[in-house]
Amino acid sequence: MRVLIFGCNRLSTSLVADLAKDDNHITVLGTERNCLESLAALNGVRVVLTSEPMMQDYLQEGGIDHSDVFLAMSFDDHQNILVAQIAKYIFNVPKVVCHLGSPQLQVMYAGLGLDVVGYSFGLMQDVRQAIQE
Amino acid sequence: MYVLIIGCSESGYHLSKALIAGGHEVVVVEKNPERFQLLNEEMGSVALLGNGTDETTLKQAGISRADVVVSLTGADATNLVISQMAKHIFKVARTMALIKDPKNEPIFHEIGVDVVVNSTHLVLASLEEGVPGRPLIHLMNLRVPGMELVSISIPGDSNIISKRLGEIELPPNSFIALIIKKTGATLATGRSIVEPDDELVAVTPAGNEQILYDILTGV
Repeated sequence: MRVLIFGCNRLSTSLVADLAKDDNHITVLGTERNCLESLAALNGVRVVLTSEPMMQDYLQEGGIDHSDVFLAMSFDDHQNILVAQIAKYIFNVPKVVCHLGSPQLQVMYAGLGLDVVGYSFGLMQDVRQAIQE
Repeated sequence: MYVLIIGCSESGYHLSKALIAGGHEVVVVEKNPERFQLLNEEMGSVALLGNGTDETTLKQAGISRADVVVSLTGADATNLVISQMAKHIFKVARTMALIKDPKNEPIFHEIGVDVVVNSTHLVLASLEEGVPGRPLIHLMNLRVPGMELVSISIPGDSNIISKRLGEIELPPNSFIALIIKKTGATLATGRSIVEPDDELVAVTPAGNEQILYDILTGV
């Protein structure tokens, strides 16, 4: 699979390590130079250093038009929402997953048909459960 | 009309003043305390301190009864999120958003923002209008991705002068919609005759713009 990941951080680093095992072609886009350099050393991983004003050009440089999977994994909810929807609706990437930290936004975008991931739902339930125990 | 403006940059400030002067009801949400303070001193309860992507703030601003929500924050991504919240959570009838990266325009149309104001495009259009020697003006991008409306003024030495529009071979998917003469605007037909200093308003794919321009102004 050709996987394009937006955002370089501890989340995407673990994802890349996991996905790279299965012979996937992975490209990571991010503004975090050190994080990208550490990933670039891995086999089968390509990295692209980005800056926000030229986001769309970087998506194309990252090969969005022939990606099978797009993962918006930065810690900026608004940027993730923008690029995930560009991937889904403009470039018709078959599988798009969007990480969101805000529970409000998670509910809304899941309702709009985005595949949303984020820990706050589970976290809220865990806390509630811990209190009740 | 009740207009809710999110983000009070300079354009937000002047827009809200113009709307108030026009008799509209306006609330401006601004998250920067200093800028909010300035607004509050001048316009009182029109200004509301808060984050425009926060549901509680938006409810406080009475978003559900807004006729239009205008997103003018400095970040395209934030303006997209505000427009989608307005539309899907609060069922606002019309949304309008400012964008800086022209390439973001298609996704804003795709997700249903009613009016997309492309600041780069506006500056470019004024620049082209104000600078002599390149008489091609971008009027607007159409909703169909990649298609645009342009205006081209025809120099006196162009080789299409005195020709009928039907005789001119245009690039694929490009066509002339209007001819503007000193006497007024008329719908373009195959029999319309081009005269010096006419302005032709045309629809064209962005990629064919230069070819169209060369055909219409070439010597």
